[in-house]
Amino acid sequence: MNKKTYSVPIGPVHPSLKEPMTFNFEIYGERIEKVNLSPGDNHRGIEFMGRQRNPIQIIYLAERICGICSASHPFAFCQAVENAAGIEVPERGQYIRVIIAELERIHSHILWAGVAAHELGFDSVLYLSWRAREEVLDLLEYLTGNRINYGIFMIGGVRRDISKEQIPRIRKTLDYYKDIYGKIEDIFLNDPTIALRTKNVGVLTKEDALRLCAVGPTTRASGIKKDVRQDQPYSAYADLNVKAITPDVLTGEVNGDVYDRIIVRLLELVQSIQIIEQCLENMPSGEIVAEKKLVKLLNQLKKAKGEGIGRHEAPRGEVIHYVKLNESELPEVWKARAPTYNNLMTWVPMLIGQQIADIPIVIASIDPCIACMDRVTILNKANGQKDVLTKKDLHELSVQKTRRIAL
Amino acid sequence: MEYMKPEKIIESFKEKFNDSIINSRIEIKTAGLKKNSYSLIWLEIALKDFKEAVKLLCTIQFPHFAIISGSETGEEIKLTYHFSIYYGDRAKEISFNLTAALPKNNLKIPTITDLVTGAQTSEREIKEMLGVTVEGLPDLENIFLPNDFPKEVFPLRKDETGAAKMVKKEEEVEKNE
Amino acid sequence: MTTISLFGILVKIIGAIVIAFLGVVIGLFYKGIDRKLAARMQARVGPPIRQPFMDFFKLMIKENIVPQNAVSWIFNGAPIMALVSSITILLYLPVGNIPPLLNGYGDIVLIVYLLTLPAIGMVVGGFASGSPYANVGAQREMVMMMSYELPLVTVVVALGWKLSQVYPQFNVFSLAVINAHPIWGLVGPLGFIGAVLLFITLAAVTPGELSKVPFDAPEAETELAGGILVEYSGRNLALFGLTDAVKTIVMTSLTVALFFPYNISHLLALSGIFALIVDVLFFLVKMFLVMFVEVTFIRVAVARLKIDQVSFAYWVPVSIIGFLGLILIVLDTIIV
Repeated sequence: MNKKTYSVPIGPVHPSLKEPMTFNFEIYGERIEKVNLSPGDNHRGIEFMGRQRNPIQIIYLAERICGICSASHPFAFCQAVENAAGIEVPERGQYIRVIIAELERIHSHILWAGVAAHELGFDSVLYLSWRAREEVLDLLEYLTGNRINYGIFMIGGVRRDISKEQIPRIRKTLDYYKDIYGKIEDIFLNDPTIALRTKNVGVLTKEDALRLCAVGPTTRASGIKKDVRQDQPYSAYADLNVKAITPDVLTGEVNGDVYDRIIVRLLELVQSIQIIEQCLENMPSGEIVAEKKLVKLLNQLKKAKGEGIGRHEAPRGEVIHYVKLNESELPEVWKARAPTYNNLMTWVPMLIGQQIADIPIVIASIDPCIACMDRVTILNKANGQKDVLTKKDLHELSVQKTRRIAL
Repeated sequence: MEYMKPEKIIESFKEKFNDSIINSRIEIKTAGLKKNSYSLIWLEIALKDFKEAVKLLCTIQFPHFAIISGSETGEEIKLTYHFSIYYGDRAKEISFNLTAALPKNNLKIPTITDLVTGAQTSEREIKEMLGVTVEGLPDLENIFLPNDFPKEVFPLRKDETGAAKMVKKEEEVEKNE
Repeated sequence: MTTISLFGILVKIIGAIVIAFLGVVIGLFYKGIDRKLAARMQARVGPPIRQPFMDFFKLMIKENIVPQNAVSWIFNGAPIMALVSSITILLYLPVGNIPPLLNGYGDIVLIVYLLTLPAIGMVVGGFASGSPYANVGAQREMVMMMSYELPLVTVVVALGWKLSQVYPQFNVFSLAVINAHPIWGLVGPLGFIGAVLLFITLAAVTPGELSKVPFDAPEAETELAGGILVEYSGRNLALFGLTDAVKTIVMTSLTVALFFPYNISHLLALSGIFALIVDVLFFLVKMFLVMFVEVTFIRVAVARLKIDQVSFAYWVPVSIIGFLGLILIVLDTIIV
C-alpha cells in the first residue's frame, strides 16, 4: 500500500461522542481505511465495588452503571439474584417491572433520535425530540419519584405500586406519544436530507451481525430476529406476544444501514406503547414484592447458594447479569454485561470504507452507552506515586486554586 | 427449524464427551400469569474438551455469545461462557452456560474467537482482569485497563494478585502538603 | 474616472472606516437576530440579541493560543486577511439609492473574486494550524469553493448579459448600474422565470458561502469539532466571528442589489434626508428578509450534507438551475 493515509483521532472527548471513548482512524482523503477502538476511558470499577456490597446495595450500584439504562441493569440484576436464590416474583410485581422498563425504552429511543439528528447537523430535530421526551420523564418521576435512576427495583419485586388513580396519567402520556408519533416518523423517514445521510451508510451485514454476536436494534436492523423479550420471555413478557422488529416490516427489505436502525427504533416506540397498554389492561392484583422486610430478605440471601443469570432486553439490546451466591453476605461473583459491550466490534465493519462525515452518525447508530460498557477499573497506579485523588484532595486543590486566583 | 429438547442437548454432549462432563443440570423458569416456561442448561466440562464442546454447540445453531464470567475458588478459576441458542423464535431460546475450571498454576484456555468472533472483547477482558492466558488470541493492547497498568496485577482476582492492595481508603491517603 | 484629489481621498478613507464599522455592527446585530429566530423555530428561548457582541468582547480579552506546530505568522494573519477582504467587499456594495463608496473602481466581477478571499483566508489558517481536524476542514472548504463558484458566476454573467443587451452603452457589470435597473423590469414572462431560477441559484450559493447548515461541512461541529476554526481562540477567533458577520451582510446585500434593488422613498413622496433614511431602513428590512430565507430558515430545516453530496449539489442541480435561468433569459431576449 503506497497510498498516503493520515490518522485522525476521535476522542476521548469529542463533540460527536457524548461519552469518553477513543477511536483512531487511518484516513485516505475522506475515506476510512482502518479503525482502532480503544475504550476504557470511563472505567469506574463497578464490579470491583460490588464485591464489598450485599445484593440489595448492589441494586443501586447497578442502577448507576448507566443513567439511561437505569431500569435495565437493576432488572437484570434482580432477576439474576432471584434465579440464584430461588425467589418467585409476584405477578403484579412482574407487570410493574415491565411497565417501567418499557417507559424507559420510550425515553431512551427518543433520546437516541435526538442525538442522531444532532450528529447529522439537524439540531432542530434534537430540540424538538428532546422536548417530546420530557413527557415520559415526567411520567416516570410521577410513578417512581425520579426522572432517571428510578430506585423502584427490589429483589423479589418492586418497591412502589401503581395505583388505580395513577393509571389515567399513564394513559395520557401514551396518548401524547400516539399523537406525536406520526410527526416523528415523518421527520425521520421522509426527510430527504436525513435519508441522504443515513441510507447505505454504516451497513452491517447479517453475517457480520451474527458473527459478532450483536444485540438489540443493531442486530435487528440487520435482519436477525433476536430479542430477549421474544426469545426467552421473562417476567410479564411471558404473557405478552412481543415480536422482534426488523425493518422489513415497514419497507419490505433489510439493508442493515443506519436508516434501518432508525426504522427499528421508531417501530419499537409503537411496540412499547402497545406493551404498556396491554400491561395496564391485564395487570393482576396482589402483592408487588415477595418479601417486604429487607432484613429478612437479606438473611434469606445470606443463606442462599446457587448461581443465576438475569437477562433483559434493554433499549440498546440484551443486558445480562450473572450472580453467584455462596452462603455469605456478599455475592461471590457479580458479572454485568451491557449491550454496547457486544455491539462494540460491529463498529469496525460499519466504519471501514465510509467517509469522515459518517463517523458521528455511524457511531451513534448503535446507540452506544460507553458508561455501561466500561465498568471495571482500578483507582490507582502502583508506581509508588500517589495518584488517587480523594474527595479531600480535590477539595484541597480547589481551595488552593481559588486562593491563587484571588491573590 | 428443528428444536432439540434441553435433555436431548445434554445427552448429545454426554455422548460425545462422556467422562469429561463433570456436572450438568437443567433449570426451568416460569414467568407471567400464564406461567410460560423457558429453560437454561448449565454444563461443566473438563478443560481439555472445552473447545470441542463449543464446536459441538456451533453445530446445533450458531450460538449467541453473551459474556464470560469468572469465579475464583481457592486453587482454580472457573470460567463460565454464557451462550444462548435457538434465538429468533418465540420462547424457544435456551441459555447455555458452559463452565470450565482452570488450575491457578496453569491459567490457559483456548480462544473461541475462530468459532465465535464476537467473543473477542470478553476474552481480552478476562485476560486483563483475571490473568487468564487465552491461547490463540492475538496479543492486542489493553482494552479496559490503561496501557501503563502494572502487568502482574489482575483487578478482579481475589488473591494476592488482585487489586485490593492498590485501593486506598479516603482516610488512609496522606495529606498532600 | 473620477479625478483624484486629496479631499476626495480623505472622504473615501473616512467613508471606508464608517462603512467598516457599520458593517460589523449591523452584521453582529443580524447574527443575533438570526440566532434568536433559529432558537424560536427550534422551540428554544435562545440567546439575547446582543449575544454576538458579548461573545466578541469576551473573546477579545481571552488568551490567543497559537498551537505548537502551527505556522504562527500565517495562523495569525489569516483571520485579518479574511476580515479585511470581506470588509473591502462592503465598499463596493450599494445601499438603497446610495451608490457604492468605491463606485467606478471595481465591479461585480471584482466582488466575485473578493468573495473567495475570506474563504481562502480560512483555508490558509486551517492548513497553518497543524491539526488534522483543521486540515480536513480546510480541504473541504477548498472543495466547496470550487463547487459554488460556477453557479455564482452563472448568475452574475446572466444578469450582466441581459443588461448589456438592453443598455449597451453602460458598464454592465457595475453594481450601480445593476442596482439602478432591476432585472424584473427588463424581461418578458420567459425571462421572468429565468430570473426566478437565477435567484434560487444565488439563494443556494449563499449558505455555502457562509458555511451554514446544510453546507457547513468545513466546520461540522459534530464531525470535526469546528474544523477550520478548531485551533483558533481569543482574538483570532473573534476576528473570524466578525468575518462571518460581515460576510452575511455582504451576501444578503448582494442578493438585494442584484434582485431587489427597489426603493420606496418615491412612493412616499419623500425627498432629501428623509428619503435617504427611509431607503436605508427599507434596505435593512430587505436584507433581513433575505437573510431569514437564505440563512436562518434553511439552516433549521435540514441536516448537514456530506462534502461529496455538497459538491454534487452545486455541480449538478444548482448549476443546472443556474444554466436554465441563463438560457431562459437568452431565449427571452432573442425571441423578443
